[in-house]
Amino acid sequence: MYLTSEEVNEIALESRLMLTEQELAGAVKYINNFLDALQCFKELDLKDVEPFSFAEAIECPLREDKVIPFADNEAILHESEHVDGSYFKVPRIMEE
Amino acid sequence: MELYELNLLMMTEGLKAKKFSASEIFESCKKRIDACEPSIHALITRTDDTMPTFNENGALAGIPTVIKDNLCTKGLRTTAASKILGNWRPPYDATAWSKLKDAGSILMGKANMDEFAMGNTCGNSAFGPTMNPNDTSLVPGGSSGGSAAAVSAGYVPFSLGSDTGGSIRQPASFCGVYGLKPTYGMVSRYGLISYGSSLDQIGPFARTVRDLQLVMSVISGHDNMDSSSFSDRPHDFSYNEKASVKGKKVALVKEFADFTLDAPIADAMKRTAKILEDEGAVITEVSLPVVSKYAVACYYALAMSEAHTNLERYDGVRLGYTVKDARGIKEMFERVRSHGFGAEVKARIIAGTCLTEPTRCEEYYVAATKVRTLIAQEFTRAFGETDYILQPVTPSMPGKVGEVDDDAMKGYEADLYTLPVNLAGLPGLSFFTGYAGNLPVGLQLIGKRWSDSELLDTGIILENHLGSPRIANGGVK
Repeated sequence: MYLTSEEVNEIALESRLMLTEQELAGAVKYINNFLDALQCFKELDLKDVEPFSFAEAIECPLREDKVIPFADNEAILHESEHVDGSYFKVPRIMEE
Repeated sequence: MELYELNLLMMTEGLKAKKFSASEIFESCKKRIDACEPSIHALITRTDDTMPTFNENGALAGIPTVIKDNLCTKGLRTTAASKILGNWRPPYDATAWSKLKDAGSILMGKANMDEFAMGNTCGNSAFGPTMNPNDTSLVPGGSSGGSAAAVSAGYVPFSLGSDTGGSIRQPASFCGVYGLKPTYGMVSRYGLISYGSSLDQIGPFARTVRDLQLVMSVISGHDNMDSSSFSDRPHDFSYNEKASVKGKKVALVKEFADFTLDAPIADAMKRTAKILEDEGAVITEVSLPVVSKYAVACYYALAMSEAHTNLERYDGVRLGYTVKDARGIKEMFERVRSHGFGAEVKARIIAGTCLTEPTRCEEYYVAATKVRTLIAQEFTRAFGETDYILQPVTPSMPGKVGEVDDDAMKGYEADLYTLPVNLAGLPGLSFFTGYAGNLPVGLQLIGKRWSDSELLDTGIILENHLGSPRIANGGVK
């Protein structure tokens, strides 16, 4: 057992997920089985291996740092139920 | 023969010769969807109410298609088979869809899939499962199960899916169609709802390899909107009638020889190797020890880590499922995400968060990126010794709808033959080899990066020997 149910619950809350008791029990089993499967990495000597970035060298495309207005802001705002004028409005951010 | 039974090439040629009209094709496909959809449920959204106008001069003028519901369609509901996206209507088109539309293709619907492309059964959908058109008690494979089933059942002659670890090749094999996972960087990912961005690639399904070529010639190519898209690589998918495998090396993977395969798949491997040999290819062997032992763990560590980051954006503020009575932003995020995501997606987000936390990142995530380097190097070495690798798509034939393995890792291990291709950014063709009883049997041919065109040429040679798949019954009594 790599992680307790308290630890898994803490990780879930970091991901902004609230789990029911049943979901938590499933998640604990899932994560511990998964971490067990990942122990195989320890059999490899990875000390001098570079982390993978891309299958072949690619130049990072750059474009001018310039604001380009989106053609249809209304189509974006229309999809939200939290709009005030031309902005998104969210509930309070500060905890009580 | 009904018009819906025509393949893509026959449809385009028939339309050009005015043997039939685009509206006759449209009506025939629509009727076929009406007949099969209650039994196989391949579509989340149907868009075939009325025939739209289309570019009559395009390469795919008047040809019906279906695309996976993780491809953005401007003004049309796009769900990724998740409750959390609600009835979201994107304000833009995915580049791949935009190219099809510009070429005159007509959208008949958005295809069912595993939620956010996480799964290999098409059973993890908030809209219910899709059934295999060859036998509706069986899964069609996933995650692009709806796209594969739609082509197999004759809804449309071709469709689009996405492949992060086998999500085109495995359902193609289970449904009895051809599916190509292109080289990473060949088809723009702009407008594809991300799962694992370094692994995701859009590709086509069709009932002939020639049809895959026709679709690839439309959707491939550089796109300024995708930073992983290449500008100076070959994108010529024209038919090469002189294509041959004479003198080409086709390798089997040494380490896979000891793994158990279902009898029809083992038999297909032998038959296909013999055909290639008879055509003048040299059957050889390559060794992939790191791939065979570590690829599954490496893939899932990376896919879950990337998924956790990609899915952070779903919070109920800008789009999709939301709540309006939360007392603070934290409560809103928690309620939206807890009710909006399905069980498999939640499990993968939690796993990804766990692996990338500062205290565990080096041990798991960074280690996985290094294992990926070893896997890519292993393939580079292998393709110094061979032109193609021939291998199964899956070790087993499709399972029953609704069957869930209690140990998720066992289900993941079934992806061993497909996911290494994504880790190394290679192209992989899933091709039809024949039937075992009523069920199609597929295999996979893998090439080096940017060899997609030659891979399809070889696929045509195989199809000439093995035959093309028939249209599946589609659950019609």
